[in-house]
Amino acid sequence: MKIGLEVHVALPTETKLFCSCSTNADEPNTSICPVCLGFPGSKPMLNDAALKSALTVAKALHCKINDNTYFLRKVYFYPDLPKSYQITQLDGAIGHGGYVDISKKRIRIRRVQLEEDPAKIIREDEYSLLDFNRSGIPLNEIVTEPDIETEEELREFVNELRSILYYAGVDINKEMKTDLNISLGEERVEIKNVTGIKNLVDAERFEVKRQGELISRNQKIPKETRAYNSETLSTISSREKESDEEYGFIYEPDLASYPTGDIVIPEVVIASDVARQLSSKYGLNEATVKELVMFDRHALGLVQYGLKRSNANRVINAIELLKRHGNITISDESFGKMLSYLDKGLLLNEDAIKSLQENRQVEIEKNTVSTKEIDKAILGIVAQRQDLVREYKTNSKAFNFIVGMLLKKYKVNPKYISERLAEVLKDKA
Amino acid sequence: MENEDFDRLLRICRLSLEKGEKAKIKHEIDGIIEYFNTIDGVDCDKYSPSYHPIDIPSKRRKDEPEQFPDVGKLLRNSKIYRFFIVGPKI
Amino acid sequence: MKGGIEEFLKTEKFEGYYEELIVELEKLNSKLHIFSNINKGLSTGLPFSVKDNICVKDVVSTASSQMLNGYTPPFNATAIERLPKEEFGFIGKTKMDEFGFGTFGINCKDHPLNPFDDRYVTGGSSAGSAVATAVLKHHISIAESTGGSISCPAAFCGIIGFTPTYGLVSRYGLIDYASSLDKIGVMGRSSADIRYVFDKIKGSDRYDTTCVDHPISKESRKKLVIIDQLMAGVDEEIASSFDRTIGKLQNIGYYVEHKSIPFIEKTIPAYYIASMAEASTNLAKFTGFKYGLKINDFSKGYNDFFTEARNNFGLEAKRRIVLGTFVRSSSVKSKYYEKALRLRHMMINALGVILKDGFIISPTMPIKTPTVKEAEDFDPVKEYSIDSITVPPNFAGLPHISFPSDYIKGMPVGTQIVANHFNDYALLDFVERWESQFEYRFKYNVGAL
Repeated sequence: MKIGLEVHVALPTETKLFCSCSTNADEPNTSICPVCLGFPGSKPMLNDAALKSALTVAKALHCKINDNTYFLRKVYFYPDLPKSYQITQLDGAIGHGGYVDISKKRIRIRRVQLEEDPAKIIREDEYSLLDFNRSGIPLNEIVTEPDIETEEELREFVNELRSILYYAGVDINKEMKTDLNISLGEERVEIKNVTGIKNLVDAERFEVKRQGELISRNQKIPKETRAYNSETLSTISSREKESDEEYGFIYEPDLASYPTGDIVIPEVVIASDVARQLSSKYGLNEATVKELVMFDRHALGLVQYGLKRSNANRVINAIELLKRHGNITISDESFGKMLSYLDKGLLLNEDAIKSLQENRQVEIEKNTVSTKEIDKAILGIVAQRQDLVREYKTNSKAFNFIVGMLLKKYKVNPKYISERLAEVLKDKA
Repeated sequence: MENEDFDRLLRICRLSLEKGEKAKIKHEIDGIIEYFNTIDGVDCDKYSPSYHPIDIPSKRRKDEPEQFPDVGKLLRNSKIYRFFIVGPKI
Repeated sequence: MKGGIEEFLKTEKFEGYYEELIVELEKLNSKLHIFSNINKGLSTGLPFSVKDNICVKDVVSTASSQMLNGYTPPFNATAIERLPKEEFGFIGKTKMDEFGFGTFGINCKDHPLNPFDDRYVTGGSSAGSAVATAVLKHHISIAESTGGSISCPAAFCGIIGFTPTYGLVSRYGLIDYASSLDKIGVMGRSSADIRYVFDKIKGSDRYDTTCVDHPISKESRKKLVIIDQLMAGVDEEIASSFDRTIGKLQNIGYYVEHKSIPFIEKTIPAYYIASMAEASTNLAKFTGFKYGLKINDFSKGYNDFFTEARNNFGLEAKRRIVLGTFVRSSSVKSKYYEKALRLRHMMINALGVILKDGFIISPTMPIKTPTVKEAEDFDPVKEYSIDSITVPPNFAGLPHISFPSDYIKGMPVGTQIVANHFNDYALLDFVERWESQFEYRFKYNVGAL
């Protein structure tokens, strides 16, 4: 099986790709102008930030950057396409020949290109409704080689790609649209416009099954375009005839060719690479570290800062603790302080962690408790409530009751409390 | 050009021609293509395509939003239903 | 020599002037079909007209196409925006060959007629702009040329048509024909007027990427180059008139050299390939629901809906859409579209060598002004060939001017002069020298002070 993807993500810009309309709008058709409506007389003007952002992504995907990047007109007719051509790229795209590494292999990136989004179209029985607020939103299209071979690889690739995009500054909470090319046999089937990640995996799964059944019945798989229906979890053949598709690409004469050499692009962190390196250097569980940092650049910063100063597992536990308390963004300095408390065998409760962020020394110390004190409290309860101690093995409620009592008083990491309590009870039993 | 190819071309352009018109235009178009073919003999392969007759500087726009002053006037040209522009059925 | 604009702006008494002007103009318009609309409210400034493919805010702009019926742009083209309101007053949109597709000015409903003799064509595609300039005493027209649409009607109507270097005047607000070829220019009755207006409208624009802020030179040349191949098909009477013009120029200090560019005739098919390829994409946007002509039956599938709408293109537009789509289709793109652009590159280089130390001079049109009847009988290939002299500078984006240089049996004849990229002022200087010893003739002087 071979799977190739064309992933479309919106770039993080304030304005559209070729006009100054805002990318944030509520009511339909309020963020529009002659350019994004395709009015006769209007001309496109490239958004500098979109170019830079696309370059950042291309570089993060290890692409070779074209010295000069330029645009093409891709001509086709559909109500959502205001000029009946889309300004897009092909040769002369921002970047080409890149890759993304997943755990066991390398997925090659054929091309990274910049293009404009069409309008939003709503199908009605007798007509269609169009909202041009979306028309002209800058999209990055990332085209892979057909290197993905299993569902697991598909999931892993998408996760990895999203992490890279996140670190390149792209808002990954925005809708991701993918064209899925999948072939079990000779011919390639394209499933257009799959929205989101769940649908992508579901579409892949359905298509693998469908094509597999055709092959097992010795039937040919026709080369075609299909659409995914998220309600029926299935794909259906699109009606358009392939032979009538003719985009007739030409150079976009309303725009220039843009040299990329003098544009300064920030280096993009590949979080999974960093996680891998740190895990092996400090003997940590790679999956745990990835989980913490793949989509959280602040956490990654704290990991890197903390590992230079404290015990590796303690650093990871501390960050897990922070995340549990609402992903508190604290400074490196405060994090250093937190580690020093933990190093001294002190526990921080919720209020202490919140105070860390604001660096309120008194509050922190008021809400920090030593492990010794907790041990003392545990022993105290154990001595007083023999009834519960007797029951704890057969009745989990009893155990949880004790944990609850302690938490109420100390508000510290429940994981620590239950582990410690279990140890003490084991000794007493 | 074969009739089939001509019909396909018309479909791609979303154009239709009336019967009488069609034969005439196809004939003319064949003649024009023949005229176009006369550039075949010119040896210009060593020249890159000139997409513009002069060098165009790579002017770009700052990413600063600006509202078009009169959105209402943009919409006066179309049929509107609840803020949406009405288009043909898909 | 002072231009009409300066004279006009010095005048102070305008009582009843515009009312009278408009009455007279409307009368003439019903005879010569110059304007698609006339601004009856005009009350100030020198009257200027605008080719109908250039947007004027809140005025219907259709490029003389049914497809754009009723299109009312809510913005001004940059060239229009830059004309000072206290000096210039918009008088109307002028008729043209639909979208600029035509050599004679007859590809539109009720097409304009030649002001010298209404049996004759005006030339195109800036037909109405040329006629407006020929009939109004104090006037300039903002026109546009893709392959000769300013030079040709200027020659046939006996006025001056200036096509600047590609990119010097913003195309924002121009309803595109071929984006890498379209140039907004100026038509007028004197080089001084044209210079005055050009200086107002030129220069970089934040709304047009391809508009440049390049310094414009005035490097005069004494050498006038005749390219022999361009003279090959020229009508005998035009050729001998041209000889007389050369004689006059020699008298005022110019000298002539002959040069040969064997492949120059191939620039016409190459130009048509490139321009149609771009035009077929620029015209794809007309689908009958966002602006212009409307199809009301939305329940039709979008393909049928679009096809029904696009049936309203004129014949020449349809021809060019089909041909343009053909030459850029994937299987033949390198043979036509790309090759045409390589040829353009080769030609720019070849012309550049000549223009380093000379101007290129020729008759503007190889034929005498045809009658409407004669023009209607031209088949497309023959019509395209008529552009043999105006196409090379247009394809190469070179500045050029057509100026009246003779009158044959009462009909004006034009001469075309071409300079190197950005040497636009030198051309205007050249025409100014010509004007010092040649008097232009006009049949009408509507609005004379």
